[in-house]
Order: sequence, then C-alpha cells, then structure tokens
Amino acid sequence: MAIRGSAILGALALAGVSLFGLAAKAEDVTISVWSLDRDIQPAPNLISDFNKLNTGIKVEYRQIQFDDVVSEAMRAYSTGQAPDIIAVDNPEHALFSSRGAFLDLTDMIAKSTVVKTSNYFPGPLASTMWDGKNYGLPKATNTIALYYNKDMFKAKGLDPDKPPQTWDELVDAARKLTDPAANVYGLAFSAKANEEGTFQFLPWAQMAGGGYEHINSDGAVKALDIWKTIMTEKLASPDTLTRGQWDSTGTFNSGNAAMAISGPWELDRMVSEAKFDWGVALLPVPELGAERSSAMGDFNWAIFSNTQHPAEAFKVLEYFASQDDRMFKDFGQLPARSDIAIPETGVPLKDEALKVFVEQLKFAKPRGPHPEWPKISKAIQDAIQAALTGQMTSKDALDQAAEKIKAVLG
Amino acid sequence: MSNVSRDRLLLAVAIILAGIYLFPLYWMYITTIKSGSEMFATPPTFWPTDPQWQIFGNVWQSRNMGRYIWNSLAIACGAVCVITVLGVGCAYVLARYRNIWVDIGLFLILMLQVLPASLMVTPIFVGFSQIGLLNYPRLAVILAIAAKSMPFFVVLVRATFMSVPQELEEAALVDGNSRVGAFFNIVLPLARNGILVSAILIFMQAFGEFVYSKSMIQAVELQPASVGLNSFMGPNTNEWNNIMAYAAIYVTPILAIFVLLQRRIVSGLTSGALK
Amino acid sequence: MKRFLSSMIDGRGFDIGLVSLPLAFLLTLSGLPLLYNIVMSFQEVDMFSLGSFWRPFVGLKNYRDLFAQPETWPILANTATFVAASIAGQFLVGFGLALFFWTSFPGASWLRGLFLVSWVMPGLVVGAIWNWILSGDFGVLNFILRETGLIDGNIFWRSDPGFSLWAVIIANIWLGTSFNMILLSVGLSAIPRDLYEASELDGANVWQRFWTITLPMMRSSIGAIMALGLIFTLQQFDLFAAITSGGPNNASNVTQYWAWDLSFRQYDFAKGATISVIMIAFVMVASVVYVRSTRHEVRG
Repeated sequence: MAIRGSAILGALALAGVSLFGLAAKAEDVTISVWSLDRDIQPAPNLISDFNKLNTGIKVEYRQIQFDDVVSEAMRAYSTGQAPDIIAVDNPEHALFSSRGAFLDLTDMIAKSTVVKTSNYFPGPLASTMWDGKNYGLPKATNTIALYYNKDMFKAKGLDPDKPPQTWDELVDAARKLTDPAANVYGLAFSAKANEEGTFQFLPWAQMAGGGYEHINSDGAVKALDIWKTIMTEKLASPDTLTRGQWDSTGTFNSGNAAMAISGPWELDRMVSEAKFDWGVALLPVPELGAERSSAMGDFNWAIFSNTQHPAEAFKVLEYFASQDDRMFKDFGQLPARSDIAIPETGVPLKDEALKVFVEQLKFAKPRGPHPEWPKISKAIQDAIQAALTGQMTSKDALDQAAEKIKAVLG
Repeated sequence: MSNVSRDRLLLAVAIILAGIYLFPLYWMYITTIKSGSEMFATPPTFWPTDPQWQIFGNVWQSRNMGRYIWNSLAIACGAVCVITVLGVGCAYVLARYRNIWVDIGLFLILMLQVLPASLMVTPIFVGFSQIGLLNYPRLAVILAIAAKSMPFFVVLVRATFMSVPQELEEAALVDGNSRVGAFFNIVLPLARNGILVSAILIFMQAFGEFVYSKSMIQAVELQPASVGLNSFMGPNTNEWNNIMAYAAIYVTPILAIFVLLQRRIVSGLTSGALK
Repeated sequence: MKRFLSSMIDGRGFDIGLVSLPLAFLLTLSGLPLLYNIVMSFQEVDMFSLGSFWRPFVGLKNYRDLFAQPETWPILANTATFVAASIAGQFLVGFGLALFFWTSFPGASWLRGLFLVSWVMPGLVVGAIWNWILSGDFGVLNFILRETGLIDGNIFWRSDPGFSLWAVIIANIWLGTSFNMILLSVGLSAIPRDLYEASELDGANVWQRFWTITLPMMRSSIGAIMALGLIFTLQQFDLFAAITSGGPNNASNVTQYWAWDLSFRQYDFAKGATISVIMIAFVMVASVVYVRSTRHEVRG
C-alpha cells in the first residue's frame, strides 16, 4: 500500500512538473508585487523591463488603491495570501514591521552591492527602520511646497519674484489675491479628514516647534489658528475640508486659486494644464529665520516575511533601486537618494520647481515611525476638522488630540 | 377641461418631472464631452462649447474597457443564475403557506442581509480563502453577490407567487399532477413575468457590484468594470471628464437595454404579475 | 427511501427541499459572516489575527469603550436622521410619482420607465456624479439655486457641517426613488378599480378615496417597502465614501461608514464589529415590521 501510494505520488509529481514546465521555464520563480502605481507610474514599467531581462524570476503585478493598501495587505497576510513584495505608505510601514509581517532586510542589504543605506536621504530611510533594523527600501519621496500664480501676483500688485515667506505674508497675499467676483480664492490646500490632512498640517506644527508628540504646543495652536483665519475669511474654498490635495490643486490649475500647497506629483499636470506663469516657493515659516520643516511623503518597498523566495524578492528590489535614476525623468517622481543628481528635463518651469522641491526635501521629516500611526493621525485630523468647522477652539481641539495621542504613545 | 388638454397637461408635467429626475444623468454625459478647463468653468456651461467626442474612444482603448465589461457581464449573469435557481423555490414555498415557520424564514432572510458589503467582506474573504475558493475569484464573487441579493429577490418573487391563484394549483393536483408537476407546469409559467422582471432588477444590481469584486479578484484580467472605474478614480484623479466617460460607457449599454425593454418591464411589474 | 423520494416529489419534502437549500446557502454565506462580526465584538482583535476565530475574549469592553467616545451619540443621531429622512423622502417622492403615473395618459408607462434608471446605475457612479453636482465652487446645483434666486452665496454641501448630511440624503433620495416608485406602482395597480367606482358613486372625493381605499389596500406594499428601504438605507455606503467621507468633523458620519472607517482606516476591527452589532439590532426591528406587514396580505 505504502509503495503503491508513493508510486502514485511520484507519478503525480512528475505530471505536475511537466505540466508546470509547459507553463513556465522549470527554474522560473514567480514573485508577486502589489503597489498603487498606475500604468504611467514606475512599478508596472520597471516590472515589465525586469521581466524582459529573463533572469529566471518572473514578476507579476497587481495595482491596488491608495485607500486599500493596508486593509488588503493585512487580510492577505493573515490568510496566507500575501504577495512577496508590497509598496506601503511610509507612515504605515512600522505597522507591519513592528509585528514581524515584513522581512528583516538588514543582512541582505549589508551584503548587497547595489543597495547602500548611506545613499538614501535620512528621512525616508528612517521610515523603513524599526528597532534599528531595515525592513524595506524607500521607493521614492516627495514633500510639499507653495505653488503660486505669477500672473495673478502681477495683477494684484504683488511682486511675482517675491512669494510669501512667512505665515503672515502668506495670509496677507491670500487676502489680496482672493477675488470672489472672479471666483478666485487666495489659497488652495487640503484639510481633509484623512492622511492628507495630517500630511499638510504637521509641517506647520513642526515649523513652529510642535510635532505629533506635542501637538498642543503653542506653535501648533498658532498654526491651526492661521488655518482657521484662512478658512473663516474664505481665503480658501470651504471644500478644503473635504477635498484632497490633487482636487484642490486642480482649482489652482484652472485659475480659481492663486496659490496652492502641494507636492511635485502635480508638476506634469500643471505644465500641461496651467495657462499662466507660475512658480514654486519654499513653505512659508512662522517668522523669518525660523526652523524649516516639511512633510515627507511617498511609499516604501517591503518584502512580506512569509515569502517563499526571499532572495529572489530582494533581487527584484535591487533592480528597482538600480533604476532610481530614471524616476524623475520618466515618471516625474523624486528618488529618495542623495547620491543621484537629478538631470534637467528641459522644461524650464519644471526644472525651476524641481530645485525648490529638492531644497524643501532637506527639511522633510517622517511621520512616526510608530506602529499605531493611523490612530495618531486620526486624532490630528479630528482636531483640524473640529477647529476649522468652528466647533472648538484651536487650543481645545489640539488639547483633545494631545490627550488621545498620549493614550496611544503610552 | 377636455380630456385631450388634460392629457397634454399631464404629459407636460411628466416630462418636466422626468427632466428634473434625469438631470444627474444628463450632467454625467455632458461632463464627459467637456474639455479640462470647461469642466471647472463658473458659471457652468450646459452645453459644451467644444465637445470632445473622441474621449469615448480614448477611454475605451486606454482603460481596456471591453475586458472589464465582459467580466461584469459574466459575474452578473452568474449571480442571477444562482439567485434564480435557489430563490424561486424558496419564494414559492414562503408564499404558499402562512404559519410561524414562514414568518421565521422571512425574518431570517431579511436579517441575513443587514450588514453592508464593506463589513461582510472580511469574514467572507477569510472563509473563502480557507476553502480555497479564492483560486476561482469570479465564482467566489458570484456566490457572495448571490448571498447578498437573494433576500431582495425572494421578497419580490414571493409577492409574485402570492398573485397566482391557489385554486389553479389545487385543480392541477386534483387532475393527478404531482407537486413537482404542478409547480413546473402551472405555477411557474404563471409567475414567469414577475420572476423575469425580478431577475432583471437583480442583474442590474450585480452589474454594478463593487466591494466584493475589489477584494476578492486580484488579477486585473478578471476584474469587473466597477473595479476598473475605482482604480481609475483613485485619490489622485480629478479627470472628471475621463471618469464620467468611463461611467457613461459602463452604464450606457444597460441603460439602452433597459430603455428598450422598459415597457415590458414596467407592464410586467404593474399588470399584476408582481404585487 | 421510496417514501422519502415520493415525499420529495409530492409532499412536504418538496417544500422543505425547496426552502432548505437556499436557506442553507444563505446561512453559510451571510449567517456565518454575521456571526463572525458578532463574536468579534466581544474579542480583542489583532489586525493579524483576522484569519482565526479564537481570540481573547474581553466581554463588553468594546461596547463600553465605544459609548465612552464623544462622537458615538452624534453619529447614532446622524444615522437616525439619515434613515428617517431618506426613507420619508424616497417614499413620498416615490408615492407621489406612482400616483401621478397611475392616472393614465398617453406616454405614462413609457415615462414611468425612465424613472427606473437610478436603479440601473452602480452606486459608485451615482456617488461620483453627485459629488460633482454638489461641489461647492463648481457644482451645478449651487449654480441653479443661485440663478433661480433661492440662495445668495454658494452652499458648501460637502463641507458645511450643517449641510453635509443633507447632501448625502438628497443623493440617496434620488437613488431610492425608483425602487419605491415601482413597488408602489405595483401595489396600486393591484387595487381593483371597481372599489373606486363604487365609492365615487357614494360621493366620496379624491382625498376620502385615498384615505379609505388606497392607503388601506396598500398596507402590505408599504410595509415591505419600509422594511426594505430601511435595510437599503442602512447599507448605503458608496454615497458617503464618494461625497463627504463622513466629514467634516463627523457631521455626516453614520454607523455603516463609521464601522468601515474604524475597521479599515484605524484598523480597530473589534469596534467596527461592535457597531455592526448595533446595526443588526436596528434591522431586527425592521424585519419584524416587514414580517408583520405580510400578515395583511391577501392571496390572489
């Protein structure tokens, strides 16, 4: 019986191998990758380039939505359906690495000839770390700065070469630029009750000496008061409360807002859509000479700890990292690398803007890392919304947020 | 007031009401063919100055919509088949008797569809992954949709069976038919219209299903059009004209079929076939 | 065996067979997930323990925590407003239209069919359209209201705490009208015309006929519509996701969206499940109403 059984098993195995061989080369290893990149963004293009190299590793790609990344990943991981590689938003990286869901890459990186941690900007790199170990690689990075419409500046008697540098100048400029009759708001930004709101607000708090650990500091309260001024004086559209950054900046592009706070992901669209002269300036600071700060956005690559093929998955990551110099030219994204000089694109507006963003990036701070970042972020969003809808004062709202954050931080 | 002028007045009112009601649909179509800057113009234009007809072709091509719509059709048809096969018998029995067990059955059927799909999807996903059903993702979605929509179908079809006179069935039984025979030869043909109409309503719901498909179908080649639309909308998109074009292509075929069939559907519903 | 077979073809077994198969199907695919949610509301759920059933029990802790949160009661109140206003709006508009189209005039049945289109539209698409129509600065609804002189300044439907819930309600009424209208039309057409003729001879006017004949005859239809309407309204999720995301500051947040937000945005699955249990209690009431309404049905 036992002999017959194993003979049958052997035959089945043989049949399985030969069937498999028909579908793919026998030595091919399949690596699955999930990310939110669309067809014109890096991941699918890099993957199809990689597959053309015939390295014996075949990469399959699945696009997931920004909102679904974490929930899909958790569900897949807890039922053993996780992909080998995933791209997660940097503040959510620690959620996974702290629970051992991501593979510790420290040793592989140490041995690698392609990936060197010293080549990365410290902020993005820090977001991939947990407990002193590397749990991923930064995929790209971005930050926010101030876009402004030079034509409107001229029309309202402002100097188009002197964009606002401080908060007070920003509010002043916004007052002058706001023109309800022409449907123009002074400023467009996002205070939406999701991660985007936190992303936009934290830099303001940090510039004034606050931060997520002490969100109710005087500086942070002042920052929120400035936001409140902008909203109550209708210097920005009330829809700022429910609109994301991309939609808000869309109103800037169409000439319905004179300034906009957003990131480099807007550049390509703005170049093609904005029918006016525009420029980019560093995010205004509380007062001249104050410490600069900025948000640090974008995703990280990571390998799930239950992958069958860690070595091959890491090879794929190495390939991604080796292509970082193409990021800006081909996809308009900034590599998180200090060793790569970003080449000029030949589009003057875009190249000017790039310089500002690279400068701004030096002040970018990661959110967290903390395994319960979503709860911290939620507390901040609630405070922003409560204050801006006029239901609480900035101080009370941020005190409440600080209370909630303290409970999370323990 | 003469009959003719009364008719004309009523017709005019009806057309105005329909115009108000259909305005969102009109707005979808009109946004589609607007250019980028015209979309955000204030005041909005009610007829585009520079209609962009090519957008339909572009979106169809670039989003590979043929495949998406095919998947939507496959999923909706599958779900309707499962629901009809299982639901008709259930509705028949629940209409035939009037006792505490029927009450309990109806109660259960309603209770079971209380939670929105967004909350049901995690347990269903976990269960399906444990029995390996996720390897057949479209089948998995069909089953999940069937479970979701069946209660509604049963409630509608049960009402249909209520309108089939019980004496007809009893007469057939007296004539020597078995229960099975009476069901298939007498009751089912009489309820055909109502079942058909209910099935069409279910089909339309299933055609737009989104939450289950999004989570369970990971391969792009198998995803339905709703998931395609969502991946298009994303957080970083306000290409409203493209989104609306996609939506228009997505719903126009069903709308067209519906407008062609609607007289039959409505008369099927209101002639007492379903009550 | 033979008795069983003949019972299957010709007796009780036939009925039980017909009903038990779909019930078993529903119990597996809807009942178990429901149970999973209920069990989860008494457990401490770790985001990575989603795949298993056995997690530490914490008794009523999730419930206590939930009701200790300041936003809980306002969100429950929002849910009540949303459900009541949506159902009332859908029902009144739907009933009005059904009565209107019941008076036969040329083109009535054709035009009535057009009112079914919102049923055909996927929720996601409806959400996208309404999001666009209700937008504060560019929305066409504001433009129309301004031009007709009803408002002076733009209403920020999506961002004004006083309006955001109503923005979703408007969209939801639009969406649900077709369903109400068609089921009510069906109910109306089942009322025998001779009842009206008789009462007309008795000298009853339109209103009296409506109160004494139409409404009583429609009781079972109305009961069914209310129950199904409650369920559909409580399941309405796409519109919130597309139009307001529950904001600003929870002003338009309702249980079904909040439960999703807690589960999948803050990864607090236990609380999400706790809210869903509260919703189940809500719907239990609706189901009882529906089942009771079937008592008054007359078999044709």
